[in-house]
Amino acid sequence: MLRLLRGVGTRAAQLALLLAAVAVASFALMSASPVDPVDAYIGAELSAVGPEQRELIEQRWALDDSAPERFVAWAGELLRGNAGESHIYGQPVTEVIGSRLVASLGLMAGAWLLSGLFGFALGVLAGSRRGTLVDRGITWWAYTLSSAPTFWVGLILLYVFSVWLQWTPVCCAGPIGVLSEDVTLWQRLHHMLLPMLALSVVGIGPITLHTRQAVAEVLSQDHVTFARALGETPRGVLVRRVLRNAAAPAVMLQFASIGELFGGSVLAEQVFSYPGLGQATTQAALRQDVPLLLAIALVTAALVFVGNTLGDLVHRRLDPRAAPEVPGRSVPRPDRDAPVEQVSA
Amino acid sequence: MRRPARSTALAAAALLASALTAGCASDPAPVGDGGRPAQLTVALGGEPDDGFDPTLGWGRYGSPLFQSTLLQRTADLDVTGDLATEWEVSRDGRVWTVEIRDDARFTDGTPVRAEDVAYTFNQAARSGGLTDVTVLERAEATGPTTVELRLRRAQSTFVNRLVSLGIVPEDAHGPGYARQPIGSGPYSFVSWEPGQQLVVERNDDYYGEQPEFERLVFLFTDEDATLAALRAGEVDLAGVPSSMASEDVADMSLVTVPSLDNRALSFPTLPDEGRTTEDGRPIGNDVSADVAVRRAINLAVDREALVAGVLDGHGSPAYGPVDEAPWFEPSTAIEDADPDAAAALLEEAGWTDEDGDGVREKDGIAAELTLYYPAGDSLRQNLALAVVDMVDDAGIAITPRAGSWEEIEQHLHADPVLFGWGSHDPMEMYNHLASSQAGVEYNNPGMYADDEVDRHLEAALAATDPETASRHWQAAQVPSGPAADAPWAWLVNLDHTYYARSCLDLGDPVVEPHGHGWPLTAGIADWRWSC
Repeated sequence: MLRLLRGVGTRAAQLALLLAAVAVASFALMSASPVDPVDAYIGAELSAVGPEQRELIEQRWALDDSAPERFVAWAGELLRGNAGESHIYGQPVTEVIGSRLVASLGLMAGAWLLSGLFGFALGVLAGSRRGTLVDRGITWWAYTLSSAPTFWVGLILLYVFSVWLQWTPVCCAGPIGVLSEDVTLWQRLHHMLLPMLALSVVGIGPITLHTRQAVAEVLSQDHVTFARALGETPRGVLVRRVLRNAAAPAVMLQFASIGELFGGSVLAEQVFSYPGLGQATTQAALRQDVPLLLAIALVTAALVFVGNTLGDLVHRRLDPRAAPEVPGRSVPRPDRDAPVEQVSA
Repeated sequence: MRRPARSTALAAAALLASALTAGCASDPAPVGDGGRPAQLTVALGGEPDDGFDPTLGWGRYGSPLFQSTLLQRTADLDVTGDLATEWEVSRDGRVWTVEIRDDARFTDGTPVRAEDVAYTFNQAARSGGLTDVTVLERAEATGPTTVELRLRRAQSTFVNRLVSLGIVPEDAHGPGYARQPIGSGPYSFVSWEPGQQLVVERNDDYYGEQPEFERLVFLFTDEDATLAALRAGEVDLAGVPSSMASEDVADMSLVTVPSLDNRALSFPTLPDEGRTTEDGRPIGNDVSADVAVRRAINLAVDREALVAGVLDGHGSPAYGPVDEAPWFEPSTAIEDADPDAAAALLEEAGWTDEDGDGVREKDGIAAELTLYYPAGDSLRQNLALAVVDMVDDAGIAITPRAGSWEEIEQHLHADPVLFGWGSHDPMEMYNHLASSQAGVEYNNPGMYADDEVDRHLEAALAATDPETASRHWQAAQVPSGPAADAPWAWLVNLDHTYYARSCLDLGDPVVEPHGHGWPLTAGIADWRWSC
């Protein structure tokens, strides 16, 4: 129990440090950016907004203060639970993120499950039939998918399924013209399907390739040969010997891919006009909405951290060789990361 | 500003899609009474991130939809009353007295009072939004239907604030207003899902002519998704870039609307004497400081060819900053596409090609210029490349260079830049040409200064009647025209292109300002279903 508490404490401290570092780094990057937030806000109407009006905008956004002053003010407010107001949306940052995150999380969770399940299944199939046509087909497909940009895959899906076949809607999280409170669950899923598919493509490739490698690895080990010699069926070998061992790296990767998923969702949401966090992120970055972008960076970092931590924990449960890590005590575990290292080679 | 990689992808996908969609029929639109659709879905873009509060800039094109304005523009850019029944300007031009109608009501049932008008203007003057009302000193209701707007200085262009500032109810205006707007306009707010759609319904209490469509859905999709929705038959009206406007889309017809949206080269008019602005930007260019060079470029450019070749015919030649406006001076138009005349002009001014390399020189300086344009804007890139070609015959060598606006800003006063402008507000023309605006933000980037032009611009601002103002706006264009001082080379005016259902009649759309899309809604009351 004590050990669990200490573990949680360590993780929390790590997270806090990470968030502080992310905040400082993102703020420094934004301050160094050549984009002038007022110019970006005014956009095309440059000549219609005179110097006096610019002054008013700067006052409203408190841009007169120096960068360190603004950062300290922002951090102080954040510690008191106030994330500030988004410049471009004229709304509290928490409201912007809150309304958008729900949509994005649903999308990302769906895509994450899809890519995990399909990636693992394809990887096992390819790994257990190594060298066959099936294997080569799957490997080729996985390589293609991992090198295809999400927005491109999204556009293709959009044009094939929405424009040509008209099976899926072209945009948005609900039917055009229907108020969000009247949208049924089925309609929501229907609208989520295509962006989810496009997004899941980000994850499928790597998981397939790594699983394939792990499966092949396990299959070539002595205990498998031994089991085969004892008359175990190929199916039995796969279920009893291979799946568990091959699952560990896949699960690790799957959790580690949450960060990429975020990046992918920005593009997928843009293509499908899906009103998630991605759209808000692009706007915030292009238009120097510092409070919003900082908050998004923090939320993303926290999610990625949680993903990696979960991946670590699950990996240890699945792979007995990965013994629990106890701070302050060094346990020699020479081959802890062996399967992962081998597959990534 | 689209990323190049994306445009390529888009073009490829569009190609694929047109191959795939051949012969594919779309669903008919939902039908209401009288055979017309109960709801119209339009994708014009222009979503305001910070909501629908006119005091922060919503409706600055003059069509706030939910709110009504004091005045409005007709299709030929004249001004007529809307909420205002009468308006007059004091002799010194500083006090505007407006009489408003007494039968207008906000959608929450309260009447529109003079206090609301005064409140709206005062609020807009104070708020740091996108609508510039800083010239207003104070607005005051002097009677139940009378408002006095006092200005800090005379400014005839203030009429544009009366045209564009939507009136909000004083009592219902607060922090949440931008997301739940209440007004006295032709449509009332139903729901807004940011990044997706805005749903509005006809305001049955509207004092003006009732629009034909009871419900409108504005889709805020990206260009790609808009094109997809168009092809899938899910929208009734969509704004498209002119490069996409030559395709056939089933059931849709192409609508082109003339605009003031122009593209032009700015020329630094000062010689390079090593001076810089306060923040270190270099000033001056020895080549473009010579008026002969500026005129020669204006002469050599073939504007008709630019319209035909770069705009696919969706535009018109531009000779000044406001070609499509009533305050344009038509006599400033020149016979262009004449590289020989340009060469003769340069020859006469002492620019000769001594070394025979095709580029003229004068006093040891070669007639070479660098032309900046924003990277990722394919239209401006194509215009820049075409201009380079056209002036080459006259012996002027222009090197086009793409850059971000941040980079271009550094060269604003020392190199030509390919700009896009166009506004219903002649204040913009003032900003292009007035010496007082030299080097202020993006105003008068070439730092042009001419006494006669300044005199006319100031007189136009001080004018208290539109005719006098127009006369001075026109007079200011003569000395600054392409055949005179030529501080700019105005190239083309774009037509804005839309696909509309063949049955949807958009009436007589207002000449549009820079900014494709939302301005089309100015004529929303005239939209008809003609089938």
